[in-house]
Amino acid sequence: MRTADLELAARCRAGDADAFEELYRQHARRLFSLVVRMLGSGEDAEDLLQEVFLQAHRKLAGFRGESTLGTWLYRLTMNHCLDHLRGRHAKMSRATDSLDDEGTAEPMAPAPAVPPAISRMDLEKAIDALPPGARAAFLLHDVEGFEHQEVAEILGVSEGTSKSQVHKARLKLRAMLRR
Amino acid sequence: MNCETYENQLGDYVDGARASGLPGDARLAAFERHLAGCARCQALVADFTSIRGAAARLEEHVPPPRLWTRVAASIGEPQQRPWWRRPLAGAFPSWAPVAVAVSLALLIAGATWLAWTQEPAAAPHEAVGAPAEPDTAPAEEHYEAAIAGLEQLAASQDASLDADTRAVLKQNLAVLDRAISESRAALADEPADALAQESLLDALDTKVTLLQDTVALAADADAGSDDAAGAAKELNQ
Repeated sequence: MRTADLELAARCRAGDADAFEELYRQHARRLFSLVVRMLGSGEDAEDLLQEVFLQAHRKLAGFRGESTLGTWLYRLTMNHCLDHLRGRHAKMSRATDSLDDEGTAEPMAPAPAVPPAISRMDLEKAIDALPPGARAAFLLHDVEGFEHQEVAEILGVSEGTSKSQVHKARLKLRAMLRR
Repeated sequence: MNCETYENQLGDYVDGARASGLPGDARLAAFERHLAGCARCQALVADFTSIRGAAARLEEHVPPPRLWTRVAASIGEPQQRPWWRRPLAGAFPSWAPVAVAVSLALLIAGATWLAWTQEPAAAPHEAVGAPAEPDTAPAEEHYEAAIAGLEQLAASQDASLDADTRAVLKQNLAVLDRAISESRAALADEPADALAQESLLDALDTKVTLLQDTVALAADADAGSDDAAGAAKELNQ
């Protein structure tokens, strides 16, 4: 995989237009889904992903194969998403979340369980309401299927923080879905 | 120990980790013992498992075809393909494909108009016995035969193209058909008009090229779908 990634990156750097299109075709679908859910808007997702691939094209010279091209692209994408969300939140003077671990108070009172069949729309809406850091970790781990070690690598945090953020996200989703 | 101390183990358990498969993980084993007698953690495991399953089943959002065109334009990829072979919508301002089509129509209509208006200038040539303009009929027949075959082929592959591309291609074909009709109308009035003949043959030639590229574009789209499916399968493994 790494060899194939390095070869593809080398072809891109050499100006092979077909190689960059191949890179795009390999990753655009999953990245687009992730960005739509991170930003909550397909239109914003298109703009952001265009910028991500433009940055990727410029930064491929620095790709050394320490991670897979996919992980490298996910990291670039999540950095853009989180920057975008932090900027948006700052402009709106709303409280922002960070990737740093934060304690989450869990209600101790008994409450109804999450319905066994969660509707897609309810879940999408609840994910959209998560703080950015928890949303990022949850989307990568529970939706995209990355292991915590990979989530940590993509988000630039420790594996423990990834676990903690996913736990926090699941708790918040649970609270929203059983209302 | 209280429930909070097992946060990581609870997450691992929901993700499928079991002490029986990880004999060296004493904390996971301790959590499993705790879980057996803790209704609160049992409820959390059940709800988290439900959420995790629903999350994994969420549908993929598919990027519109125009996104690649935008990316390619932003990185300055050499535009090796002619414009009608690229997914057009979104690559340019929304009015750009229309502008191209209108420009083409104006170009051909202008040539036809020139053919009409230059009639007096052609008269002296006729007066000194210049040879008659060549007959376009054989060339027209050749083009029409090629167009009929290509239209049939393009229609059979129409479903391979995305809606935006199909719409622009259809629009451009309509412009060409109008130009062909106008050139023929001009030739009906003035059969020897060289510019009108040239306009007609140019429009027919452009239509052949457009249809050829429509067929090639549909073939590319089919190949792209197969590639994307293969890549998705690989990534999901």
